[in-house]
Amino acid sequence: MKEDKSMKKSKDGTDMQIKELETKIVSLENSWKRAVADYKNLEKRTAEEKTNYMHFTKSQVIKEFLPFFDNLERLEDHTNDEGLKLVIKDLKNTLKNMGVEEVDALGKDFDHNTMEAMELKKGEKNKVLEIYQKGYLLNGNLLRPAKVVVGQE
Amino acid sequence: MSKIIGIDLGTTNSCMSVMEGGSAKVIPNAEGANTTPSIVVPDQNIVGIPAKRQQVVNPKNTVFSIKRLVGRRYDDPDIQKIKDSYPYEIVEGKNGLACVEVEGKVYTPQEISAKILSKMKADAEAFLGEKVTKAIITVPAYFNDSQRTATKEAGQIAGFEVDRIINEPTASSLAYGLDKKKNEKIVVYDLGGGTFDVSILEIGDGVFEVKATNGDTYLGGDDFDQKVIDWLLEEFKKENGVDISKDRQAMQRLKDAAEKAKIELSSTMETEINIPFITADSSGPKHLNIKLTRAKLEQLVDDLIQRTKLPMENALKDSGLKKEDIDEVVLVGGMTRMPKVTQTVKEFFGKEPNKSINPDEVVALGAGIQGGVLSGDVKDVLLLDVTPLTLGIETLGAVSTPLINRNTTIPTQKSQVFSTAADNQTSVEINVLQGEREMAADNKSLGRFMLDGIAPAPRGLPQIEVTFDIDASGILNVTAKDKATGKEQRITIQGGTGLSKEEVEKMVKESEMHADEDKKKKEEVEARNLADGLCYTAEKSLKDAGDKVPEDVKKDIEEKVKNIRDGLQTDSSDVLKQKTQELSSSLQKIGEHLYKQGGPESTSSSTENKEGSENQKKDSEEDKNDPVEGEIVE
Repeated sequence: MKEDKSMKKSKDGTDMQIKELETKIVSLENSWKRAVADYKNLEKRTAEEKTNYMHFTKSQVIKEFLPFFDNLERLEDHTNDEGLKLVIKDLKNTLKNMGVEEVDALGKDFDHNTMEAMELKKGEKNKVLEIYQKGYLLNGNLLRPAKVVVGQE
Repeated sequence: MSKIIGIDLGTTNSCMSVMEGGSAKVIPNAEGANTTPSIVVPDQNIVGIPAKRQQVVNPKNTVFSIKRLVGRRYDDPDIQKIKDSYPYEIVEGKNGLACVEVEGKVYTPQEISAKILSKMKADAEAFLGEKVTKAIITVPAYFNDSQRTATKEAGQIAGFEVDRIINEPTASSLAYGLDKKKNEKIVVYDLGGGTFDVSILEIGDGVFEVKATNGDTYLGGDDFDQKVIDWLLEEFKKENGVDISKDRQAMQRLKDAAEKAKIELSSTMETEINIPFITADSSGPKHLNIKLTRAKLEQLVDDLIQRTKLPMENALKDSGLKKEDIDEVVLVGGMTRMPKVTQTVKEFFGKEPNKSINPDEVVALGAGIQGGVLSGDVKDVLLLDVTPLTLGIETLGAVSTPLINRNTTIPTQKSQVFSTAADNQTSVEINVLQGEREMAADNKSLGRFMLDGIAPAPRGLPQIEVTFDIDASGILNVTAKDKATGKEQRITIQGGTGLSKEEVEKMVKESEMHADEDKKKKEEVEARNLADGLCYTAEKSLKDAGDKVPEDVKKDIEEKVKNIRDGLQTDSSDVLKQKTQELSSSLQKIGEHLYKQGGPESTSSSTENKEGSENQKKDSEEDKNDPVEGEIVE
């Protein structure tokens, strides 16, 4: 009798232990699956980020170089050199091939999505009268807004 | 459970973050920027950078700095002060509160702020790919109840369930993990684009208490830029006799260049401000080309930096604390990137400030962490350890060759194949090292063991694979295996990474201190190893080629080998490199003679071997793809 009881007790103990271990396995399995899933997601995210970084780097580099282009065009306003004209033409072509496109601003309605208003002057309302600095798009996304003078009645 | 985002709703710019994988991350806006200008055109629902771009065209309808109005009464002297200088209409709304009027419609500051928050919510949802309904929003420590309630309402109008409004300095402290400290006194120095705030906090049991705040609501980065612009105008006038201050286009270019120069001078000592074709007169185009040194910039803005001192004194006085009582100083706001600002704060409190986190984002990151704590994210994070120091083995010339670099997340495993240093070497000793130094003796030896029974072979031929394996609890298993015989030996190092924080810091610091000296020592050893290796190759080639090599060439090589051997332990690395170079060119003569004798049969297989081994050597030096990457010391 006494023995039976103790056996039952130890059986209960084993059952409990098994249950405990089973719960632990489930929880560990869950954490493990989660970790693997996390990793898979990270891989996908990393691949995506890589592409994004590439686009970002490209646009950063072009953005950094735009001021030189601006200055070449300013130089063109002051000189009448055939060679310079060719250089600028070449550069424009290269930019175009890279997906860079000038923001068409002069004479158009002011658009806050692609232009930044710097000054108001007398003229047709809301029309771009002058361009301080040209704006550019890269594959349709704004690279740099055009800095413009807008008309005011 | 939906994510809780943290939002720094700023006077000039706003920023947001979210907890991801155990750390807070800034969420970029739809335009791809980490911060969004706090500017709104309420009647057209334009928010952020596009609103800023059209400000000049539409000044009366463009609302900025709404934070200065939030929760304030219309008759508040501060409101009366800004009322006339702001281009948009500030009117008295319900209950005597300050409101704005745009195109005949009255908006409460809550509604304007809500438009900023709505945009951020939409951008966060697009970035995270899920609905975001909960937010933590930060406010300045000096905000009163009415201002806090108004900020919370703004969040609710935007569709957020505002879990908590927390103080900006508290958020910054959270970002630096200062909540884990006990009973500390923290100063947060926040010099942003347009305002300066200094706050003194006391932390106990993870709860922050604001002891005092002070500041200057009209001091910030814009004032610094203006100083540079004024100086440039003056310099240009002195040089060219032209005043360009009335030329809006020139001024715009000057403003951009001034800001760029200011930023550059935080990392360089001198910069050149170049604005070609800035203007033109009858004599032709004029260019601006002025050098600005960091010292000059510091002189230009000195009075602005000095102006931050009085608020610091006052805050200390109000808190009843002395400078010595302060435990931590935290820097916030873009202007704190300027070395002179950091130095001023450091000198004032006599303490190195916390500045490693991007000062434009630190408040938002702290709010994101608070969000993570509330949603339980922070607790659930499985904290994986990293190896605090580099682990490696000792190789020829007592050099420490790393296998697992410091800060590698564990568990991890890495193998590398090594070889013997001498002919017919039958055993190698693996000395397991821990530390950042280049030489084995300067690092800590965790244990050593022998692998014997290697079949006799010329040096460099046996392949011994050494594997380091650290399990999640930091126990390091090192195995060395002879690939030819399959024989292996191993050692288990318990708690190999269980160094105290101080010990690790000391070792890392030492390695930084000795970096140059260590590098030189390692270079010397490498030069010695290279010289020794080439002597070996030379002797082997001579032996292989036999009498096909003319006596004079043979003698020349033998002499050079002897010359190197004699000075192997005493010559400087430069001398050894020179000698090695000479021997190397003499060695080429062997090949020349062998080929000159011509005929396929005289191109003996041993020569091919020799060339093969040389190529191999070159490979291993250049791209480390070759299995023989290092040689274990005998």
